[in-house]
Amino acid sequence: MATTTATLTVSSDIASSALSLSKTKILKKAGTDTDFAYTTGLVRLTTATGSNTILLNSAEATANYGAASGGSNLITKGKVYITNLNARGDGSKFVTILLADVEIGRLYGGDFMFIPWDGGGGNDLEFTANDTTSTTIEYCVFYE
Amino acid sequence: MATTATISLSSSDLLSYPISISKTMTMYKDNTTSTDFTQMNYHRLELPTDNYGGGTPTNLDLIPESDALKDTANYVYICNASTSDSQYVTISINDEVIGSLYGGDFAIFPWACDLSHATNDSTIEAQAFGATQTVEYALFHVGETLATANDTP
Repeated sequence: MATTTATLTVSSDIASSALSLSKTKILKKAGTDTDFAYTTGLVRLTTATGSNTILLNSAEATANYGAASGGSNLITKGKVYITNLNARGDGSKFVTILLADVEIGRLYGGDFMFIPWDGGGGNDLEFTANDTTSTTIEYCVFYE
Repeated sequence: MATTATISLSSSDLLSYPISISKTMTMYKDNTTSTDFTQMNYHRLELPTDNYGGGTPTNLDLIPESDALKDTANYVYICNASTSDSQYVTISINDEVIGSLYGGDFAIFPWACDLSHATNDSTIEAQAFGATQTVEYALFHVGETLATANDTP
């Protein structure tokens, strides 16, 4: 059985007492004690468009990893890691991350996110680069 | 003053070669080169499955949207501090479920608090399934607007 481990540490001196939290979790299939069996691996892509672009198309006819496109594994539930590899610069090279048409947030250069993703029809993860010169992002999905 | 986060994702046997991803970020205010956050909230609470005795499973506002937070760089950390593999909390924005956090699961993501659509469209919501569950969340943010008190001391 494959084992995938995620560890997050966050530290801050914003408050008068330092914040230091650390969490480690072996990633499991939903509602079970069974480990994930699939991953996209680490994927890097570069875009020079400011248009809204589907990053992960979970279970629709054009799914990147679905049966309709020749794959055998629909992404239904998983964990998604995304990072914006641009230099932060003046803060203008951010990438807006959306779930369907709902904006989640902005990944600035050097930032990352790690979220659970339930997938499902129409529940695409999308992005829009604010800078149209060149934006490079990486992502990795661990899924059922 | 700085706030940093590091994530490590690793597996020695999910693929035929090991996966080892590690990334550290320093969280800054939006549209700045290196201006640190100066405000944060940290909460620990229990999410019931019955709407606090109302009997109906309900999606609840976990982190309300506000004008002070809109269109900016805020960062959210959420953890399901329960231990069950079968009970979970859904995290959603507007009518879109981002995903489910089972016991021990966590998430960290930017939150722009987009108010460009309908009312309550960017509030981060949570709903517990299976049993009352303990959730912790941290919000690193650019500001909040407190309500004017009704009483005058």
